[in-house]
Amino acid sequence: MSTIRPRSLPAYLLALPAGLWMFGAVVMPALLILWVSLWGGTAFGPGNPITFANYERFFANASYRGLIANTFLHTLMLMAITGVMGYGIAYFLVMKVTSRAWRTALFLAFIIPFWTSALIRAIAWVPFLGVNGVINQALMGLGLTERPIEIFLYSRTGISMAQVSLYTLMASGPVVYMLAQIPPSLREAAMTLKAPPGVVFRRVIFPLTLPGVVIGQVLVFLSVMADFATVQWIGGNKIALLPNLILNFYEGAQLRAAAVVSVVLMACMLVGTFIAMRVVDIRKLGT
Amino acid sequence: MHWRTRSRLMTALLGTLTVGFLLYQWLPVFTLGLLSFSGPTGGTTFPMNGVSLHWYRELIEASIMNDFKPPFGRSVMLAAACSVVTCVLAVASAQAMRGRFRGHNLFFYLLLLGIMAPGLLVGFGVAIMGRLMGIEPAWNTTAFFVQVSWTLPFGFLVMLSIFNRFDSRLEEAALTLGANRLTTFRRITLPIVLPGVIGAALFGFTLSYDEFPRTMFTSGADMTLPLAVMAQLDRELTPELYAIGTATTLLSLVAILACTLILVSLRRTARPGS
Repeated sequence: MSTIRPRSLPAYLLALPAGLWMFGAVVMPALLILWVSLWGGTAFGPGNPITFANYERFFANASYRGLIANTFLHTLMLMAITGVMGYGIAYFLVMKVTSRAWRTALFLAFIIPFWTSALIRAIAWVPFLGVNGVINQALMGLGLTERPIEIFLYSRTGISMAQVSLYTLMASGPVVYMLAQIPPSLREAAMTLKAPPGVVFRRVIFPLTLPGVVIGQVLVFLSVMADFATVQWIGGNKIALLPNLILNFYEGAQLRAAAVVSVVLMACMLVGTFIAMRVVDIRKLGT
Repeated sequence: MHWRTRSRLMTALLGTLTVGFLLYQWLPVFTLGLLSFSGPTGGTTFPMNGVSLHWYRELIEASIMNDFKPPFGRSVMLAAACSVVTCVLAVASAQAMRGRFRGHNLFFYLLLLGIMAPGLLVGFGVAIMGRLMGIEPAWNTTAFFVQVSWTLPFGFLVMLSIFNRFDSRLEEAALTLGANRLTTFRRITLPIVLPGVIGAALFGFTLSYDEFPRTMFTSGADMTLPLAVMAQLDRELTPELYAIGTATTLLSLVAILACTLILVSLRRTARPGS
């Protein structure tokens, strides 16, 4: 017994406003993008004929096809880097730090920047990466290079460096959660049965954290695929990935083209998530 | 090599990785804060050319061209509105989830979609929707509409976890003693989960205050603070932006600290039987 009866009318009424709001602000817009991407004609309005010509035009362009591949490659690279680093950090925080106070302190230091503005954090990288930036000044101060290195700002390297700092937490968080769920007795049992630490990790610990790894990878995948901001601010206007193309088309008042790229991006994200869900079942996590 | 030595080596390696990453993550933020106090002739990188509050003064005494005060005012109002709506709808939908109505799983995924869907696409879609319906985009209409779809799911998750820990025997006691459901909710349930509600509100506030991918397409001519910062960044990077960044980050830190304290105190009081 509680303040709400199962399957009662109030339950439906309470869920209705939030449900309608989310449907109107997220589901409807996605359907509209799909519709606009199929518009023929030139006018903006519901009277346009439906055609696949916009898609044909997009996929006929080799540089756009290359952009899709590029976006995937960039995302895969970031998934690999944040995956390895995130797992290492999670393992250290949960399994190696024995003091509770230290663990909380390190975890807070790890997680707090995530709640501050992504825009400000991206801006904070600019004085670091520039030709006169902190990294170059440090390298020259240590005598490691004579001339400033120009590859940091306005380059893939700089973008990746900033994105690693932005998204490692996403790869790490679910692993921390899964690692903390493993009862210590499992590890002790394996050790008692004379399994060396490497085998314990490979055969016991890692398989148990696999769902966390996959969910972290999905989060990083979705974030990096859609991250136009870091690419734009740290890459200058020299580098563009798929989401930047949406912005360019939109600013150029080419709504149909922007919609096509949006649908392609959505499709890529759905396929990626679907593949990941074949590996683990996300719904089993809560049980 | 003995496994104990190897394990110790591993600890050292992973410890170095962790501490190194934390430095890597925090150094730019600290540098930003440091550079915001550089002298009037200071640029966007070192040397600072003295220490001053010049760039903060610039923010307050700004001319019309790069005045960040109106966008700041809009952002705060928008964030406050989002936070209130998030609170109310999050409590309502989490309470509805306790009523295990038909389709509650679908409802859960619908809300989760607000977090998973990329903001750029959501904003773009709402912009199209507004144009089709003939609604002029503005920060306090379309942008507000789309921002709630971003803040609400987080508030919903907070309230779900709060209700999961909630001891429903307290409600049962009140109901058994003859209070009706509404009175019980108002007098028993709500006061107990109130700290969580405040947490959800603060959460909604910071999320809305920092939001830009959704707002970009939907705010019209009057920009919010992140959009004004982006526009200035497109023109020129100035230490003024560092000053805004430092102030904003401090504001977020205060909000997070408040959230953490509330959740910790809640955990202490909500434990049944103690």
